[in-house]
Amino acid sequence: MLKIKYFIQQSWLLIISSFFFGLLIAIANAAWAPRIQQNKIDKLNRLMTGLLSNASHFRMETTLEIVSLKQKKIKTDIYKAISDANTCVGWAFICDGPGFADKIELVVAVDEKFKNFSGYDVLASNETPGFGDQIKLPYYRNQFKAAPVDKFGLAKTGDAEKIDSEIVAITGATVSSEAVVKIINNFLPQIKDQMLKEGLIGNVK
Amino acid sequence: MSNEQQAAVSLYKQTLIAGLWRENPVFRLLLGMCPTLAVTAAVKPALTMGLSVIFVLFCSNIVVSLMRNFLKPHLRILMFTLTIAAFVTIADLFLRAFVPRMSETLGPYVPLIIVNCIIICRAEACASKNTLTVSIIDALAMGAGFTLALCVLSAVREILSTGAIWEIPILPAAFVPWAAMRMPVGAFITLGLMLGLVNAATKKRKTK
Repeated sequence: MLKIKYFIQQSWLLIISSFFFGLLIAIANAAWAPRIQQNKIDKLNRLMTGLLSNASHFRMETTLEIVSLKQKKIKTDIYKAISDANTCVGWAFICDGPGFADKIELVVAVDEKFKNFSGYDVLASNETPGFGDQIKLPYYRNQFKAAPVDKFGLAKTGDAEKIDSEIVAITGATVSSEAVVKIINNFLPQIKDQMLKEGLIGNVK
Repeated sequence: MSNEQQAAVSLYKQTLIAGLWRENPVFRLLLGMCPTLAVTAAVKPALTMGLSVIFVLFCSNIVVSLMRNFLKPHLRILMFTLTIAAFVTIADLFLRAFVPRMSETLGPYVPLIIVNCIIICRAEACASKNTLTVSIIDALAMGAGFTLALCVLSAVREILSTGAIWEIPILPAAFVPWAAMRMPVGAFITLGLMLGLVNAATKKRKTK
């Protein structure tokens, strides 16, 4: 009993403050979460449009279950890019995985036949500014553009302008460069297999 | 005005001047160097960071000052960190909701305000020992001093690296931008020169 009394005497302020601040953060989060979510959707649309410029709009086609790099089952939405002529001009989806500092979320786009990569853009990342965050820059992202949908490999040196499955890492940010390649390599084959099974690709109209 | 009132006004004035100049967190105490070097490539992110720090400093100083008589010495740092973390989370959520582009530009540096020495230093050195009014003035003065320093540094860097300020061109088109000023090396050089100038000015004043 004395121990409990001593514990409360010592920590009552900490306990009350924790509840109070927790409540404050919960209120702020509840008030702003829809807006933050909307900002994220707007950004996703902007990035998808940037990657698949022929598309006039995007339609969520299906949700697939993917085994993440941490061996957890996660769900990802597959967006169909549709042109003005109402034909499919590509596919886009969100991939994620661990980066150097935090989780990296990428928007990946491929062509309508799932044969060539249309590119990727970064939806969210907390990579080191000046180093790891160079995964957002065109000179690294452009290496993936038009490359065949295949398993990408990472090289420390090489010709970054050559379009193939070998990606040249960013100097000083090998972990972040590798993270992008690993994320894409993990998601692409799983999504391709499942889309083939569902008949979404292979017989594109 | 009674002697007590005069003493209080004098204390407020001293607190204000201390934050803005005599104990300026960036130029005199060299605190909060991480955001000072990282977000001063342009004025807009620097100002946003400064305003975020003012908000957190203001709220945390109020809370710490109000709870100062109940603080257990061995739990005080924990309490300061808890208080600061709560307000930083709120500031981060606000930026993500209302200025998402700026929130992305600042990246991890907004959550990193939690470990900004200026805020914990003011909680320990001022708010936990002074009245609410002094704590509020201290928060505003220190926050303004920090913001001012960030804005001066970022203005110099933005002008030299882009020829513009607040994205408005001010240098002639013939000006060749100094790319290095946008990079970390530019931050270190500008800060070093600024510190040299401030030291020279202070020495001159002391000699007089």
